[in-house]
Amino acid sequence: MPASGADALKPSAFLPVCTATCLLVGATSLFFVFTCPWLAATICPAVPPCCAILFLFVLANFTMATFMDAGVLPVASEDEDKDDGFRAPLYKNVDIKGVQVRMKWCASCHFYRPPRCSHCSVCDHCVEDFDHHCPWVNNCIGRRNYRYFFLFLLSLTFHMVAVFTFGLIYVLHHMNDLWKLHFTVTVVVISISGLFLLPVLGLTGFHLYLVSRGRTTNEQVTGKFQGGVNPFTQGCCNNMEYLVCSPISPKYMARPCKKKIVHVQPPFLRPELDQQMPMKVGDNGLHTLALENKRPSAGAVELSDIKQMKNPPPLPPKPDRGLLKSHAAADDVGHHSKSVIPVSIPTVPQLRPVLEAISRGSSPIPPEQLLKASEQQANIKGPDLCSGFRESPVRGIHQGSVSVQPPLQPNTVYSSLPLNSRSLALKHSCRYGSKSQLPAMQSDGWRSSPPRGIFTSSTVLANQSSNDSPPFNNFINPTEPQLMSQRGAPSVNYHSHFMMLGSDGSVQCPPPHSYSPVFMGVTRQSPQPRDSSPSLKGLTSRDPSPSLQGYMQREPSPGFQGLITRDLKSQSIASRDVPPPGVAMRDMSTQSLRDSLRDMVSQDTTLPKSAAARYDNFSKTIMASINERRELEERERMLHLQARSQAHYCADVGIYDIPSKRSLAPDNAGPPGSRGPTPPAYGSREFLMSTGILTYGMRTSPLSNSSTLSLTHGSKTSSSPLQNCSSSSLQNKGKSSSPAYCSSERQTQAVPSSTSTLPRLTSTNSSAPPYTSYATAKRSSLPFPSEGKESVTLGALK
Amino acid sequence: MATEFHNLQELRRSASLANKVFIQRDYSEGTACRFQTKFPSELESRIERTLFEDTVKTLNTFYAEAEKIGGQSYLEGCLACATAYLIFLCMETRYEKVLKKIAKYIQEQNEKIYAPRGLLITDPIERGMRVIEVSIYEDRGSSGSSSGSSSVSGSTAR
Repeated sequence: MPASGADALKPSAFLPVCTATCLLVGATSLFFVFTCPWLAATICPAVPPCCAILFLFVLANFTMATFMDAGVLPVASEDEDKDDGFRAPLYKNVDIKGVQVRMKWCASCHFYRPPRCSHCSVCDHCVEDFDHHCPWVNNCIGRRNYRYFFLFLLSLTFHMVAVFTFGLIYVLHHMNDLWKLHFTVTVVVISISGLFLLPVLGLTGFHLYLVSRGRTTNEQVTGKFQGGVNPFTQGCCNNMEYLVCSPISPKYMARPCKKKIVHVQPPFLRPELDQQMPMKVGDNGLHTLALENKRPSAGAVELSDIKQMKNPPPLPPKPDRGLLKSHAAADDVGHHSKSVIPVSIPTVPQLRPVLEAISRGSSPIPPEQLLKASEQQANIKGPDLCSGFRESPVRGIHQGSVSVQPPLQPNTVYSSLPLNSRSLALKHSCRYGSKSQLPAMQSDGWRSSPPRGIFTSSTVLANQSSNDSPPFNNFINPTEPQLMSQRGAPSVNYHSHFMMLGSDGSVQCPPPHSYSPVFMGVTRQSPQPRDSSPSLKGLTSRDPSPSLQGYMQREPSPGFQGLITRDLKSQSIASRDVPPPGVAMRDMSTQSLRDSLRDMVSQDTTLPKSAAARYDNFSKTIMASINERRELEERERMLHLQARSQAHYCADVGIYDIPSKRSLAPDNAGPPGSRGPTPPAYGSREFLMSTGILTYGMRTSPLSNSSTLSLTHGSKTSSSPLQNCSSSSLQNKGKSSSPAYCSSERQTQAVPSSTSTLPRLTSTNSSAPPYTSYATAKRSSLPFPSEGKESVTLGALK
Repeated sequence: MATEFHNLQELRRSASLANKVFIQRDYSEGTACRFQTKFPSELESRIERTLFEDTVKTLNTFYAEAEKIGGQSYLEGCLACATAYLIFLCMETRYEKVLKKIAKYIQEQNEKIYAPRGLLITDPIERGMRVIEVSIYEDRGSSGSSSGSSSVSGSTAR
């Protein structure tokens, strides 16, 4: 008996088979000894040989049925069922010739039982094409030995019939010798054969029926195909043919091991893949997709395309995961400038009409009109500046030379755009650089250096001293103290102005001009008219502290100072990367603006007043140079921003922080009083940018998902590598592997951290999309990407 | 599979088992032995799709040949019956012969195609003809020149 199960080896299990064997062999032997001689003499001499052959056949089949492996399936290795544990579904459906057949999970053997396979409880193993466990042979009847079992039954039936018949003939002919030995033995033999003939005949007929219907005993007894179609039948004749003539299936257990060693040694060949995007490290240290390195002119073209769209243009393609990782890696502390560049970059150019209006000294243009006007202007300057601006925060940390070399834009109106983007960058960098946006600025805001790159490039353009860069750098990245020390007082200007705006009540006077539409909306007052041109160059003749002085009731340059004011305001209010559209509010009265700003920034009371004091000490010339520098670098940034906007959204930054719906959410959540006069302006800005950003943010969920997936598959830190079985096995088993769960756990952990602190981007799960740096301001939006990531991760891995 | 330790004379890179991909049976045409030719995603970066599919299709062809009901199988059955199945002690069945061919084919595929790509195919017969197990190996990088490092080897036939 090949069975190794405990039950099969029990002594009681051998009783039936021993009984059957004894009966069979004994009775037949008696028949041959006592009856056959007379039969050979009387009826035919061929009778005994035939009976002997028949009996031999019976014995052979009996032996095969008893000792042959029925088709035992070996237990699956643990590698195979790693992902199927207790979480695997009990059944797995498979389609066989159009009929849905259920494959059940075998808990003992750790695999899904193939169709027609069943687990024998007596032998404790799964048998292929399991028929039944026959006690008379103490063996499972399955695929390999069903033929022998059937033939045994068949031959046994014939044998028993023959023995009974010939014995009866003998008995009938020897009725006179009732008490002779031969007679008695023959009578006993025919009694036994006659007694067991009926059950054996019944069993044979039953199996004949099963074979004709193409079923197994197991299927017949469980009624699997009673009412339905049996996909395994091939017709009566073919079934019979298959029964008799099919090749014998090989044995699976205990096969002779012929181990042939195959050495697997690296290096490994890899197939050529097209989808791998080469990561290119630009001169500025930014990791960008190689394909997205279009020329700035291409970026200009893209920008023009973008500008022509009324609504935010369609979202860019998902950045490469590697790109995300590289960005995450490149994100230094506090510099989460590699945020996604929202598609609403064109908003800066869209604001050009506003700037023009401001420069003309006209009344503030409603934001809606600004939108339209800006869209009409197809100009690459804005995007270039944006791109250049975008680089600045990234570069600030690395303090490398920025390779941004955007073409100079002599457009005076455009010159104010750099202010906008700069303010955006400042806002962005400030927010990322510190948990509390403004407080960080106030403390170390001066020490930032992100715009350094821009400044260095702008140096080429503006021929300005390197001293001019610090202020802007500080403006962008307020969290680098060491830079501040290298810089000078001038750098404090903008930050102080910023801080002044941020702190409640610290704003002395709002900048009288160059305010964003937000500010315009805030105060609803026309900014004080300015004599100077709206361009930044006008700043040269201004007071040393343009922005802050605006608050101090001085006369800062319209564009930049207004931007700063607005930036501070929005920064304080939303602590988001709201880029004030860069429209300078010129006609706003200083006092009214200050009041409105104070209201807006009431929640942020972190700006120290010392910054303002420092700001006041700067000389006019320094401020003028700073402003000029800023203007030029702004242009550069915009150029680069647009150049990269198409393919590099997840990269840098953030300086070009366009307020998204998420970023604006805190605004709405802010004190209602402070928002009283502003709603329309905010609304317009929201309309400008939020949809683009929001869509982008949502779209980056799959990006984060993919990045998460990549991390999940790649890391496998939380589970054995073998747990990531083949996709087919995963799909078949219909269950997400534990890495999926682990990744979701990681994400879950990452979510709160990113929610709590902005600058923790680097510390959070690197798979988190960059826009989670908006976390503080966009708390409401965070659960979505996180959950989305988790769900998608789980689903994808399933 | 056996893991052998070697004393390295020079810098040598070693591979370690990273993952296993299981190609399941294709039951769409009954219980005849067929394996799915669907290309698993885990192998996308390791081997060309065509190579893999060719391997599986060839294996399916082998199994179809082994299970074919025809003259040879009938003759074999009769012979076995006639000799009271004693013939099985002397002669191997047709199926076993094809299995040997399959093992040889898998060995050859492993040596020529899969091992250079860091993959190893395990004979399905070792898994009860339920799955084709493809082991994926990763480059563990260079190992030191002195002490032993493990190189992964696989057995393709039993």
